[in-house]
Amino acid sequence: MSALEVEGLVKHFEIGNGLAFWKPKRAVRAVDGVSFTVQRGETFALVGESGCGKSTTGRMVLRLLQPSAGDVRFEGRSIYDLDHHELRVLRRDMQIVFQDPYGSLNPRLTAKRILEEPLEVQGMAVGAERKARIGELLRLVGLTPAHGDRYPHEFSGGQRQRIAIARALSARPKLIVCDEPVSALDVSIQAQIVNLLKDLQTEFGLMYLFIAHDLAVVKHIADRVGVMYLGRLVEEGSKQTIFAHSRHPYTQALMNAVPRPVPGLRRERGTLGGDIPNPIAPPSGCHFHTRCPFAVERCQREAPALETIAPGHRVACHRHAEIAPVSAQEQVRESAALYRKRLAIFDAARAAISAESAA
Amino acid sequence: MNAVQAIATPAATPPTRATIWRRLLADRAAAVAALLLSVLIVAAILAPLIAPYDPYAINLGKAIRTPDGENWLGTDATGRDIFSRVLYGMRLTLLMGVMSVLVGGLLGAAIGVLAAFYKRIDGVVMRVIDMLLAFPAILIGLAAAAIFGPGLGAVIFALIFATVPDVARIARGAAVGVASQEFLEAGRAIGLSDRVLLWRYLALNCASTIFVFLTLRFGQVILIGSALGFLGLGAQPPTAELGMMAADGRGLLFLAPHIVTIPCVFIFLIVLAANVVGDALRDVLDPRLVA
Repeated sequence: MSALEVEGLVKHFEIGNGLAFWKPKRAVRAVDGVSFTVQRGETFALVGESGCGKSTTGRMVLRLLQPSAGDVRFEGRSIYDLDHHELRVLRRDMQIVFQDPYGSLNPRLTAKRILEEPLEVQGMAVGAERKARIGELLRLVGLTPAHGDRYPHEFSGGQRQRIAIARALSARPKLIVCDEPVSALDVSIQAQIVNLLKDLQTEFGLMYLFIAHDLAVVKHIADRVGVMYLGRLVEEGSKQTIFAHSRHPYTQALMNAVPRPVPGLRRERGTLGGDIPNPIAPPSGCHFHTRCPFAVERCQREAPALETIAPGHRVACHRHAEIAPVSAQEQVRESAALYRKRLAIFDAARAAISAESAA
Repeated sequence: MNAVQAIATPAATPPTRATIWRRLLADRAAAVAALLLSVLIVAAILAPLIAPYDPYAINLGKAIRTPDGENWLGTDATGRDIFSRVLYGMRLTLLMGVMSVLVGGLLGAAIGVLAAFYKRIDGVVMRVIDMLLAFPAILIGLAAAAIFGPGLGAVIFALIFATVPDVARIARGAAVGVASQEFLEAGRAIGLSDRVLLWRYLALNCASTIFVFLTLRFGQVILIGSALGFLGLGAQPPTAELGMMAADGRGLLFLAPHIVTIPCVFIFLIVLAANVVGDALRDVLDPRLVA
């Protein structure tokens, strides 16, 4: 049994018509039947363009948002069956780290108070023990107890994110939903925070639901990856599978869009054209058919189901069998050969010039 | 501690009330205004001790005197000492201002913050508030005077009634802004109750906005209250109240202009000082600016 089971999650946001109250209400289908599981100690990454529903999914997993349908089971129990008291106890086990460290800390509280709050609510670490625990938490995330008396605005973005991580850790959770925890930070700080998250995972056996759109970060931290498009999971598999043998055209386009530090690399398949469609009126059939280079008539009619094509590898595409897996490494290798050839030509030309000037 | 250590030690001083005061007083105009306001308030509180004469003692032999050594601010049509009457008048005027701003502010802030937090009641509550906003304070004052009879109570009621919707609007706006930040959700994720979220997360983060608005509002309230007094809807003669004192003297405007002018100058001073202090507080109270 998986520690976290997400089954058929659906979230519709109703949007008003302003004063035109007689018109039928329309709904944004932010999340449209998402299922996945996460094992203990594992990092499951949800990736996709902004607006694809990955953050909404993360919030429903924590019961910060009420789903329109579907269920989330944590250690075998549905988190939506819990009463008020049980929910508070559950909050110990599951925590969240937000994207924007400038908005996720209460500006009125000192760092110490921010870390104390979860302990207070949960009635954990009473008295002198609490002070020690707060110091320990600050040290865990690379700060010192002296930082505890400062207010959030006195910290840098990276330090704030460390405090947010310490807050998430304070009640000793088993699952942390990381909602784009590094995308608001500088690249150099990103690496520090990602490594910190990895270290904490090894130390405490944490389970991460890692929501991101930066594939470089995902490649570094994830064990398994789920790719979302317009509220649906289109492909899911181990990191190796997704990065080297992806079968869904959308995943392939995403992989293709990752910048690679290889000079002269030519993109074989064009990156995706067009915008993400309007989620109020998503395309019929497969949501992706409007932008898919492989779309056929069937894709407009019929929504593909998530099919298991290899152990631990699921794809939702009618034509997955016909589409060759794309491997990023091969492209790099090929272009590296081209690059070497060009370097050789350049060297020869330079040798010729210097020989000429010497003569 | 030597200089190197001093630099190496992080300045871990949180913003305290003392810092806020220091920053406020660093603003020259605000410091003068704050001083003026405190002098006026203290003078009003200590009126029975300071006032040289009984504010209600009629002395027709001394009627309509211009300011001199005996009556510092002169006397009115019935020979009452204007300085003493101003001191007593400020008590009522300030009381009126403080009461309506405090009660109206608390009610309005509570309504606004609750509406922002519980989205279900938001629409209904704010439409009601919009309706109340349509009534000018003077009109409410007239209605209140018609119902309760003219008097200070009716004026305070009207001013509270007029303050609540304005404050509710401001508070809701501030609270919606605060609620859209992720720390509210973070608070919910760690299991905090609605009560704690409402107070520690929402209300305290809107407090400076609301407080500044109320300081500015204080001046307006006193102005409206004085206008109601001038119209005869407020405190009744012979009670000393600044607006009513101005109304009293208007028959002698050309003969003895000081009877009208002096209470008006005090109203002006209170309103001006309150506005300057409010403006300065807005700059000082923002926690992100307090370093």
